[in-house]
Amino acid sequence: MADIAFQLIIFFMICSNFAKEAGIPVKPPSAPNLERLRQSRTVVAIDADGQIYVQGRRVPDARSAETELADLLRTARTAEARTVLFRCDRTVGREVFEPVLDAITRGGGVVAAIGEREEGKRPSGSQETRNGK
Amino acid sequence: MARRERHQFGLDDIPVASFSDIAFLLIVFFILTTTLVATRGLLTEFPSGERSEKQEKKTTTVCLHDGKLTLNDAEMDLPRLRQELADLKLYDRTGDDKVVILESAGKVEYRDYFAAMAAITQAGGTICIVRETGGER
Repeated sequence: MADIAFQLIIFFMICSNFAKEAGIPVKPPSAPNLERLRQSRTVVAIDADGQIYVQGRRVPDARSAETELADLLRTARTAEARTVLFRCDRTVGREVFEPVLDAITRGGGVVAAIGEREEGKRPSGSQETRNGK
Repeated sequence: MARRERHQFGLDDIPVASFSDIAFLLIVFFILTTTLVATRGLLTEFPSGERSEKQEKKTTTVCLHDGKLTLNDAEMDLPRLRQELADLKLYDRTGDDKVVILESAGKVEYRDYFAAMAAITQAGGTICIVRETGGER
């Protein structure tokens, strides 16, 4: 029994991505036909109060976020490795989220903006939405 | 007076009865912290650069201004924007012709911005953000 339990632990340790953004209350916006995003190790979040978080840690402003991201993505070469999950509350104003989007780009990241699929509108087929290639 | 004996622990002496309890607690921890829900969204790589002084041809521009949505200065709602962008056949274009400028001014919430980004991305366009401060990416 203990052997099985420890094997399960090893499985979870190897396969799991820790929820870095857990605990940050964010209501993402919605749109139809959103693609399924790959998990990324880099996460930037903005909560409803406009507080900015990089990897779950609060940063004072977009400039600090840019510095942290440049450091995190320094060794990333592929677009996949440079993908930054961007979780932003739907009510945040543009004076907060635009500098952060700018910071992600300047820090070398590819923005993967997280949203919810609009209810009642199912995609008619798979749609490739990868840009900038 | 009794003499205290140093006891050497052997493998047989290690208490293992609680190991499975610890293991299952760890499993519960991993189940709770593992991300199982599929994440959905948009993947966009914004082109970087500075604003160019001369512009030879007009680029498609989507503008958000205080809740109003315009495409090339024509005001419209979101379903109409999706339709108009689909009619531009951006998927068939290449390079700079795929670029759609996304401009925002005044009071704009992220939900409206995201909806515009989604419309452009799903039409096959490459988003180029223009900020009110004058910086273009």
